[in-house]
Amino acid sequence: MVAFVPTTRAGLYRSLRIISIPLFFAIWELVSHSGIVNEFLFPPPSVVAEALFEWAVHGHLLLDVGMSISRVVVGYILGATLGVAIGIATARYPALSSLLTPIFQVLRPIPPIALVPIVILWLGLNESGKYFLILWAVFFTVWIATHFGVQRVDPLLIRAAQALGTPEHRMLREMLLPGALPYVFVGLRTSLSVAFYTLVAAELAGAFAGVAYRIDIAHENLRIGLMMAGLVVLGLISAGLDLAFEGWARHVMRWR
Amino acid sequence: MGAACDAVALMPAPPVTVPRATLAADASCRVGYDLAPARGAIEINNLSIIFGQPGKEFLAIDRVSFAIKPGEFICIVGPSGCGKSTILNMVAGFERPTEGSVTLDGVAITKPGADRGMVFQQPSLFPWKTVRANVAYGPRMAGLLDRDAYCLADQYLEMVGLAQFAGNYPKTLSGGMQQRVAIARALVNRPSVLLMDEPFGALDAQTRAMMQETLLRIWADNKTTVIFVTHDIDEAIFPGDRILVMSASPGRVVLDIPVTLRRPRSTDISLDRLFLSIKKRCLEIIRREILSAFERQAQASESNHS
Repeated sequence: MVAFVPTTRAGLYRSLRIISIPLFFAIWELVSHSGIVNEFLFPPPSVVAEALFEWAVHGHLLLDVGMSISRVVVGYILGATLGVAIGIATARYPALSSLLTPIFQVLRPIPPIALVPIVILWLGLNESGKYFLILWAVFFTVWIATHFGVQRVDPLLIRAAQALGTPEHRMLREMLLPGALPYVFVGLRTSLSVAFYTLVAAELAGAFAGVAYRIDIAHENLRIGLMMAGLVVLGLISAGLDLAFEGWARHVMRWR
Repeated sequence: MGAACDAVALMPAPPVTVPRATLAADASCRVGYDLAPARGAIEINNLSIIFGQPGKEFLAIDRVSFAIKPGEFICIVGPSGCGKSTILNMVAGFERPTEGSVTLDGVAITKPGADRGMVFQQPSLFPWKTVRANVAYGPRMAGLLDRDAYCLADQYLEMVGLAQFAGNYPKTLSGGMQQRVAIARALVNRPSVLLMDEPFGALDAQTRAMMQETLLRIWADNKTTVIFVTHDIDEAIFPGDRILVMSASPGRVVLDIPVTLRRPRSTDISLDRLFLSIKKRCLEIIRREILSAFERQAQASESNHS
C-alpha cells in the first residue's frame, strides 16, 4: 500500500481533508483505551458504532430520524415562508415596518428553548408544538435577512429597470426578489442550523420518537454508546442538509 | 439580419402595456431599416433645479433652455458637479424639475419610461440574468412573448458583436462588453432618445476609442436622438452633431456649438483642423468658467471671514 505522498500544496490539502475524519476517530479510540479517561463514560468509536448498529437493527433509528427530519422540515418551511413573505412586506411598506419591527425586535432575541414550557401548556406534547417552536426560531432570522435584502437591492438596477419600462407591479418579481436572493439565502442557511438547536430542545421536553428524544432515553438508561451515536446521527443529518442546501443555493445563484 | 426571425412578423403583437407605434415593427425583428423616426424631439425650457432641504438649498441648474431635434447626437460636457447628469436624469424621468419643463415630442416628462433608453457609467446589467435575458428584458416588459423578445435580443446582440456571449452571465464579461450589452438592452426598445451618462468613463483608453466608433456605427443605423454626457471634450466632439458646454455651480449652458465635421467619422478625425478649433473654443470657455468659479469662491470665503 502506497501512503499519501502529496507533491503539491493543493495535494497536501486534499490529503488532509481525506484523513480529517478518520484521524479524529483514531485519536478518539486511542484516548478511550489509554486509561486517561473513564472508558465507560467516554466509550471509543467502536462501542458507539456497535450501539448505532444495534439502534438501526433492533431499535427505531429510521423512525427517530424520520420524525426528527419531518419536524425540522415542516417547521422550517412554515417559518421560512412566513419570514420571506413578511420580510418583503415590511421592506416595501414603511408603515407596516414601523408597526411590526419594534415588536419583532423584542421577540427575536427570546431563545426558542425558553418558550418550550409555555408551548407545551398551549399545544401539548404533540407535533404542532414542535413545529411551532422551529417555526419561531426560523422566522425571525429569515424575516430580517429578507427585509434587509430587499432594501439593499442596488438602486441603479431599479432605475435601469424603470427606464426599460418595468411596470411597478412587476418590480418585485423582476428586481427586488432576485436582487435580495443572496441575503435571503444567508438567512435561510443560518436558520437551518437554528432549526436543529430548537429541534433538540423540543424533543427533550417530551416526545415519543426522535433522535434527541433517543439521546434522552439513552441517558436515563446510562447507555452512553447510544447517546454518542445519537450525537453522531444529529451531526450527520445536520451537515448533510447544510451541504445539500449549499449545493442548491449555488445552483440557484450560479450567476454570482 | 432578420431572416431567422421572419416568422415573428406574422405573430399578432400581444397587448402592450406601454403603447408605442414602433413595437410592431420591432416584433418583425427587422433592425436598422426604420430610418430617421420623426420623434425624439426634446425641449428643455427654463429648467431650474434646487437640491437640499429648505434653508440649505443648493441651486444645481439655473434656467437652462435648449431644444434637440429628432435624431440629433448631442453631447453635454462640463466639469463634475455642473449638473449635466442631473439634466439627463430629468429627461429620464428619475428626477422632477423645481421650475421649468422638460418635454419629449411635446409631452411633459413625469416618470421613467421605455421611450427613453438609459446607459449608465456603472455596470447596470441585471447580474442574475444572462446577457440574452438582459437584452430581452425591455421587450418582455412591453408585453412581447418570450420567444419574440429573445429573437430581438439575439439580433441586437449581433449588432453590438456579442452574439456568441448571449448565454453568459454579465460577471463573465469585461467592462467594455458589459457596456455594449447595456447599449443593446437600451436600443432594443427602439427608444425615442438614448441617454448616456459617461458610459465609457470606467473603460481604458483603447476600449473607449473602440466603443466610441461602435456607438457611432450603431447610431448611424438606428438614428435615434442621443444625449451623451461626458467630461472629456474629445469624446464629445468625436460623435456629436452639437456640443453643449456647461459651467458649474450653478449649472448653466455657457456654449452651444455645432460640430460640422463630415461623417462617417473615425478616431483619426481628432487631428482635423476643424476638430481642433472646436476643441480650442470649448477649452477656452471651460477655462474661463473655472477661473470665474474660483474667483466667486474666493470672494465668498472672504465675505465669510470679514
